Amino acid sequence: MRVDDESCIGCFNCVAYCPVEAIREDNQAGKAVIDEAKCVECGVCLRSADCPSDALYQPELAWPRILRAEFSNPAIALSTGVTGRGTEETKTNDVTGRYPRGYIGIATELGRPGTGTCLGDIERVARAILSLGVHFEKENPTYNLFEDVTTGNLREGIAEERVLSAILEFKTTEEKAPEVLKTLAKVAKEVNTVITVNIASRFAPDGSLPAARVAREGGFSIRPNGKSNLGLGLPLIKG
Amino acid sequence: MTHTNHRQGTLESLSKDWIVFMYAARGINHEGAGPKMQAFLHLALRHNPVNIGSPTIGNMYDTTTDKIMEGLAGATKVYAVFDDGAKAAALIMDAKEANLGVSVIVSGIFEEVEKICQTAGIKRHTAQCSLGVWGKTDHLPPPEILDITTMCGHGLVSFNLVRRMTDEVRKGNLNLEKAAVTLAKPCICGVFNPERAEELLERCLSAGI
Repeated sequence: MRVDDESCIGCFNCVAYCPVEAIREDNQAGKAVIDEAKCVECGVCLRSADCPSDALYQPELAWPRILRAEFSNPAIALSTGVTGRGTEETKTNDVTGRYPRGYIGIATELGRPGTGTCLGDIERVARAILSLGVHFEKENPTYNLFEDVTTGNLREGIAEERVLSAILEFKTTEEKAPEVLKTLAKVAKEVNTVITVNIASRFAPDGSLPAARVAREGGFSIRPNGKSNLGLGLPLIKG
Repeated sequence: MTHTNHRQGTLESLSKDWIVFMYAARGINHEGAGPKMQAFLHLALRHNPVNIGSPTIGNMYDTTTDKIMEGLAGATKVYAVFDDGAKAAALIMDAKEANLGVSVIVSGIFEEVEKICQTAGIKRHTAQCSLGVWGKTDHLPPPEILDITTMCGHGLVSFNLVRRMTDEVRKGNLNLEKAAVTLAKPCICGVFNPERAEELLERCLSAGI
C-alpha cells in the first residue's frame, strides 16, 4: 500500500487501522508514512479507514511481494482458487471426506492472532513437521511456496516476505498425531511469532471426537468453543 | 482454514457468540451454489443476525444487506452471526428443514452446539478444536483486546483500533455502539460480532485500556 504525499492531509485516521503497525505519523511532514518492509498488503486501510482525501492507493504488486497480498487480504482469490488462507477442511468434510475416520486434521497458523509472520518461519515449522513423514494439503496456498515440498525448503527469495498469517495444513493418523503435536509444540518455541493450532476429525459412531481425545491424551488443552460441521451437505460422504 | 475457530473469551461472553454459515465444496456442490447461499441468507435474516457477510462481498456494516444478497448469486459461502444461542438454533432448524444440500457449519461453545443438534435431531459430522496460541505469546496484547480482535479470524481488526475506540468512547467522542460497528467494518467476511464487542469494549474501559 502507498500514501500519495500530495493528497495526504495528515489526519492520521488510517494509522490505527493497520494490523501490523506499518503506518506511522510523520508529524514534521504532516503526512502518514507506510513502512513497506512491515506492510503486509492486507488492504484494511484502503477499505476501512475512510481516507478523506483518497490518499491511499494500491500499486500493482510484483513477485514476490504479491505473496503478501495473497496471504493477507481475504478478498483476493489465490492461485489455488480458494479465497482466504486455507482450504475447505472441516467445513465441507461431510461431502469431501477430506478427513476420513482414523485420521486427524491439523492446521498450524503462524502469525495469528494479529502479529504477522515472515515466510521464513513457515519454512522452519514445515521442516520440523515434514521430518515426521506427513504430507501437506495441496489445496492450501502455502503448498505453492515450497521449492521442494518434501523438505520444506521455500522457493528462492521469499523467506523475508511478511504476511498477516499463513497456515500449514495436513492430516495424519490418530496414532501419529500425538508425536506431530509434540513436535509442533517444540518448534513453536523457536519461531519469532505466535502460532494457533487446530485439530479436527470426524465424529466416531459413538459420538465421541477422536481429535479431542488425541489432544487430551497428549497433554494439550482444548478451548471450549470451536467449529462443528452439521452433516447437512449432499451428497453425504459414505462410510 | 480456521477463521471462526480461535475466538477467545470467558464462557459467559462466548455464550453470546454464534456463527452459522454455509459453505459449498469445490468440485462437488460448488457450481450453481449461489441461489442456495441466497436461500440460506433469507433464512438467517428471519432470526435477526448481528452480522452477515461473505468474503469478496463484504459485511452488513460496510455494505448493505441487499448488496450482499445480490452478490451471493455468484458466491459459495455466506456467514451469519448471532448474539443468542436460541436464534442460532432456530436457523439450524430452518436449514435442516430447507435441505439445501450444502454444508452447514456452526462455531460456538461445543456443549451448547451439541444440545442444539440433539434437539434438532442432527448428528454432527466433523468438529475442529482450538489448542490455543503457542509461540511468542509475549508479542500479544492483553486478553481484553484479544477477546475483541479474535472475532476476525483473518486478523484484520487491529489491536490499535481497539485502543483507539476505547479512547474515543472514554473521551465521549463515540458511544459503545458506534465504536463496536467501527471495529466490525474491517472484518470483510462479516464474522465479527459487534453486540459482543460492545460488552468487551466496556471491559477494556474498566481495565484501563
